Amino acid sequence: MKFHLSHLQSMLLFALLISVAFGFLSRRRPLERVKYMAWSLLLFLLIGIGIGWAMYPFSR
Amino acid sequence: MTEETQAAPAQPDARREGRAIALGIAGWLVPGLGHLLQKMWGRALTFFVVVGLLVVIGAGMRGNVFTSDNGDAFAALGYLADLGAGSFYWVAKYIEVGGPDVSHAYGDYGTRFLAAAGVLNLLAALHAYEAARGRKA
Repeated sequence: MKFHLSHLQSMLLFALLISVAFGFLSRRRPLERVKYMAWSLLLFLLIGIGIGWAMYPFSR
Repeated sequence: MTEETQAAPAQPDARREGRAIALGIAGWLVPGLGHLLQKMWGRALTFFVVVGLLVVIGAGMRGNVFTSDNGDAFAALGYLADLGAGSFYWVAKYIEVGGPDVSHAYGDYGTRFLAAAGVLNLLAALHAYEAARGRKA
């Protein structure tokens, strides 16, 4: 079993899985969970892509 | 108030604490089991699936499954994080027959997936323990 995921695919998958787990861990009601998951996923992606762009000038 | 009446509530508390510790350990050994035994079906299924997916994908990406004989401090921390996945640590070792390959980016990401699985499972086990003590809903 081998997975050759790209940087973006790895980040998306990681953010999605961790957001789902955080939602179930910290909220009890379904709607609150979904909101928490969406918010967490959004922040993961924004911060990840932001850090990526912040490193861009030093990447070459 | 006599000593007997003061001591009376202590025994159920001790029993409850023992049960909470047992549930925490069960949750660490098998992700989601601590919640399953408390009839928290959604959380049990979620932690089992999420930790399982992180382990399978991390090992499939040929991440580093740390062992106890690594030597340096970072490897020891990695080993502790990996051990957090409980029985799934051995699942990762079973899947990753070719050994780690961190010369590629996906191998390095795989190492993070495995560590995240362990840490997440420890959080879930701690939640199961707290829930059994009545401190979390």
